Amino acid sequence: MAKGESPLKQFEIQPIIDINLFGLDISFTNSALWMTVTTAFILIFFTAPFLKSKKTNSVSDLYPSRMQVAAELGFSFINSLLNDTVGKEGKKYFSLVFTLFMFILFGNLFGMIPYSFTFTSHIIVTLALAMGVFIFVTILGFVKHGVKFFSFFVIPGLPIYMLPLLIPIEIISYLSRPISLSVRLFANMLAGHTLLKVFAGFVSALGIFGILPLVFIIALTGLEILIAFLQAYVFAILTCLYINDALHLH
Amino acid sequence: MPQLEQVEFFISQLFWLGVFFVILFSVLTYITLPKIRAFLNKRDDFVRSHISKQDELIKKAESIIENYEAKLTEAKNQASQIINDAKDEALHESERLLKATEEKIQQEIKLTESRVQKEKEDALSELNTQLKDSATDFISKVTNIEKGNINL
Repeated sequence: MAKGESPLKQFEIQPIIDINLFGLDISFTNSALWMTVTTAFILIFFTAPFLKSKKTNSVSDLYPSRMQVAAELGFSFINSLLNDTVGKEGKKYFSLVFTLFMFILFGNLFGMIPYSFTFTSHIIVTLALAMGVFIFVTILGFVKHGVKFFSFFVIPGLPIYMLPLLIPIEIISYLSRPISLSVRLFANMLAGHTLLKVFAGFVSALGIFGILPLVFIIALTGLEILIAFLQAYVFAILTCLYINDALHLH
Repeated sequence: MPQLEQVEFFISQLFWLGVFFVILFSVLTYITLPKIRAFLNKRDDFVRSHISKQDELIKKAESIIENYEAKLTEAKNQASQIINDAKDEALHESERLLKATEEKIQQEIKLTESRVQKEKEDALSELNTQLKDSATDFISKVTNIEKGNINL
């Protein structure tokens, strides 16, 4: 860390190519660059192993290659996640949950590369993802149940006189879903990267004793990789639960 | 905090997020995931068909084993039958031989007994004549009667 440089400097957006469309600034930034890398990586990682279609029809084409096993692992992970939370109807939303999970997961993981940029550490990005999920789930609820969807805010088996108190609470908790979903991811990424940067500053400042924070950073990097995975998982599983709520109400 | 300060880049971030998310979602939905699914289904079908084939083969093997066991029991029964027959026959044969031998021995004993009897009789009659002769001799000597006139 250069002298006087804030540990928050790593989150700064730097435009790479200035683009102006109809008066809107849509410059290609470092954030967009790492979204490109993430998207390209996911597409190559999951598509490339299955492109070579061997048409020998022998048993040997059924043996997956190493890369196919790796891709399959991701596929079956999301598959079982959806199966456990939503059930059989969840199959329709597979590609949505898969895209969300992989995009966030590899966004977080590429953010762990030194000098890279973590686009999931920006509240606007996570909020957009969470709002997308929220709007999708709300529309899904209305499409499946029509006006009956409002009964979601009424907890069954509750005395009538409690309803005026509990319905607003239910509505508020429903509306705060995108906020909690987005802030959870954003704050985790922000805190982790900031902490790493702060301790990295101690390494050079402490001279020979800098070995201590260095060891700490190594351990913390491992923890951050775990969190990168965990937060993507939390985002995906909450999306699954919201889909389940929209499909089955209570 | 740049996340809240750099408001001028919000539109850009949203724009590129939308672009890449839509690209990723579309390509995954229409190309990648169907490919993975097809691959997995192919393998599942293969495994399933092999499991049913295997069940058939197991049934076949079981019937073969049953058949074999039935044949084995039959063969064992036959073998024990043969052994019993052979034993009976051997027993009969030995009994027959024993009886024949006994009869032979009995005959031999009888023959020998009759011979001994005859020899005994012969000896006795000879003794009798000799006794008679010597008695005649003695009487003739004592009485001076001619031997031919003495009739004992």
